[in-house]
Amino acid sequence: MRRLLAAAALLVAAPLVAAQTPSTGSGPSTGWPAKPVKLIVPYAAGGPVDVSARILAAKLQDALGQPVVVENKPGAGGNLGADFVAKSAPDGYTLVMGAIATHAINPSLMGTVPYDPIKDFRHVALVVQVPNVLVVNVDLPAKSVRELIEYAKARPGKLDFASGSTGSTGHLAGELFKTMTGTYMVHIPYKGSAPAVADMLAGRVHLMFDNLASALPNIKAAKVRALAVTTTKRSSFLPELPTLDESGLKGFDMTTWWGVMAPARTPQAVVERLNLEILKAIEAGDVKDLLRAMGSEPGAIRTPEQFTAFVDSERALYARLVRQSGAKAE
Amino acid sequence: MELVNNLILGFGVAVAPFNLLMCLVGVFLGTLIGVLPGVGPVATIAMLLPVTFNLSPVAALIMLAGIYYGAQYGGSTTAILVNIPGESSSVVTCLDGYQMARQGRAGPALAVAALGSFFAGCVSTLIVAAAAIPLAEVALKFGPSEYFSLMVLGLVAAVVLAHGSVLKAISMVILGLLLGIVGTDVNSGVLRYAFGISELSDGIGFVTVAMGMFGLAEIVMNLEHTGVAREVFTGKKLHLWPSKEDFRRSIAPVIRGTLLGSALGILPGGGALLASFASYTLEKKVSKYKHEFGKGAVEGVAGPESANNAGAQTSFIPLLTLGIPSNAVMALMIGAMMIQGIAPGPQVMTEKPELFWGMIASMWVGNLMLIVLNLPLIGIWVKLLTVPYRILYPAILVFMAIGVYSLSNSPFDCFLMALFGMFGYICVKLECEPAPLILGFILGPLMEENLRRAMLLSRGDPLVFFQKPISAGFLIASLILLVIIALPAIRKRREEAFVEA
Repeated sequence: MRRLLAAAALLVAAPLVAAQTPSTGSGPSTGWPAKPVKLIVPYAAGGPVDVSARILAAKLQDALGQPVVVENKPGAGGNLGADFVAKSAPDGYTLVMGAIATHAINPSLMGTVPYDPIKDFRHVALVVQVPNVLVVNVDLPAKSVRELIEYAKARPGKLDFASGSTGSTGHLAGELFKTMTGTYMVHIPYKGSAPAVADMLAGRVHLMFDNLASALPNIKAAKVRALAVTTTKRSSFLPELPTLDESGLKGFDMTTWWGVMAPARTPQAVVERLNLEILKAIEAGDVKDLLRAMGSEPGAIRTPEQFTAFVDSERALYARLVRQSGAKAE
Repeated sequence: MELVNNLILGFGVAVAPFNLLMCLVGVFLGTLIGVLPGVGPVATIAMLLPVTFNLSPVAALIMLAGIYYGAQYGGSTTAILVNIPGESSSVVTCLDGYQMARQGRAGPALAVAALGSFFAGCVSTLIVAAAAIPLAEVALKFGPSEYFSLMVLGLVAAVVLAHGSVLKAISMVILGLLLGIVGTDVNSGVLRYAFGISELSDGIGFVTVAMGMFGLAEIVMNLEHTGVAREVFTGKKLHLWPSKEDFRRSIAPVIRGTLLGSALGILPGGGALLASFASYTLEKKVSKYKHEFGKGAVEGVAGPESANNAGAQTSFIPLLTLGIPSNAVMALMIGAMMIQGIAPGPQVMTEKPELFWGMIASMWVGNLMLIVLNLPLIGIWVKLLTVPYRILYPAILVFMAIGVYSLSNSPFDCFLMALFGMFGYICVKLECEPAPLILGFILGPLMEENLRRAMLLSRGDPLVFFQKPISAGFLIASLILLVIIALPAIRKRREEAFVEA
């Protein structure tokens, strides 16, 4: 029994021990990285952010010559992990997979977060972009965005749109859609995208702005009808599908994204090296294939400065959307 | 024919090498903890939840289920050999099994227990498989209002499930409901009962609560009973196989026990414990050898042992088909499923047939493994009983702390587990069952979510719960259950039944 318990304990402890890295405070010189790099995922293991972080980490450690260890620190909608990294030593050994939620939506949605999404971070490289797609139940007569708007206008307050959670991109996209079209639909929040999709398949809710990765199998199986993507560019997964922008909702542009970030004051040399290696990694054929298999596209931003500007514009966009939608938690 | 096809699919999954291995690990661990008094399947499953994260859902559930029915086997081994019921459900086996052992007939007692359990396992596996198909039809009709009403029924059942005072059970359910709503509200995003602690904003982890309330509390409880004399006399295991006479006398009790156990297992609050008691009472009433009961009657081992195993298996029916747990172990299984991203409910068998049928088939495979495992291992199990608690318990505690920490790499969860351990101990002292609390904790948030979703969809019309036939049916069933609890005559009988148990 004792031996068994010890073995089991070891089994559980092994990844933890591997993740332990002594944090000597001295700033890195040209010798970076001289020890394992920790990549914090602010979400639970197994989700899309976690999986892509693990794919990236495997490629990065070959390039850097040091282990890149993914560690999950979930909690508070990702804020715990993001905050942990914001307050870590800026030596390039602790990084975070910051996402649209932690760095653009939560600050407005939750009122306050314990970190500044812009000033407390160096935004190293955008890793993944996933468009949302407007899908409707197959029994709904609307075959296009135009028809959906007409249908909804004729029935104010009768249509339901589902989302994975209050304040998610799916929710906010729906609210933006309502504002731009002058329609009124009721938001039905779920705990995660899967049960929302289930109820839409059964016809209990009429439509949702699901992320492409989770909607794709059902679209391909014709179990739901896709009307448009939420980005200004068409998706390479569904090239025939128009964008909302093309369908008359000028300027409608929403993408779910996440990327690697470091604590503020991380040396410029380290940020640049990381940026270079990450871009190289996500553009490598095998990583690209793995990311695409998850329904996501590698990030299309080149420099850390552009990434910071992008995060800042996203933050401004969602501050406006959260205010308009009344989704703010109070 | 569909049943055959489904079973073929199930066995295909169950005999996949890795699943087979997990099944073996499960039944082995189950037997182990069944042998160890004071460490029950609930505590073990709670402790092992973090380990299952890295397994596929099928493998995880196969292993956890193996622990449960393996424990039923292991519990009877110690009951017979050393008069210590390793599990509550093997209390009855002590009565005649230990007497048989004292007469040097430990071998026959163990063999009858094992063979009876195996027979019960085979029959009840078939029952589970057959009952599942009709219920699958219902699956697609389940929306928020149906789920809400189903959970009302589940919570009412949780009160029936509790031993002892109804009032205490209701209080524990309500406390569970309150603990369940800590965290961010699904609809508005508002933080509830977080007291500014950001670790609480995603709610209290189910594993943390379960490990504290069941695992820690159980260990603390056991530390109270130090210095209990353990009489072990395996040396007297003279005959291994039952005589022809033993077999002849066992057949009818085994069949009766299997049927009784299968029926009681399906009911909420039933399961293995009630089944074994009911079977013993029944056998004593119908037996030609009434005078031998309590002095080593083979029927007194054969009947209850078959019944508790059958009950353990069929208690998976409400879990797998409706997502309603009928006892604390099943509540933990729901937790394990949710951790794996599977919403428990009728859709599991249509959306994940390989999981559903694989698990059912694995139960039969597990039973086969158990019978092969058990007889040769008895000697080893008994040696294990001599490991002192001062070594065993610290080891288990360390293991638990590591498990909880690894949930989200946060020491906060360890403190929370310690807190719930303390609270669990207090509950035991106050004779408040933790099981209703766990059920309230699991069902509460789901119930609130579905209630509010159903109300949103109906635009605030509460009649929606009565207009849908399935939903109305559940509410009526809950009402009937409530009336049953409230009726004084029945309440008295119910309390008596548990006093006997």
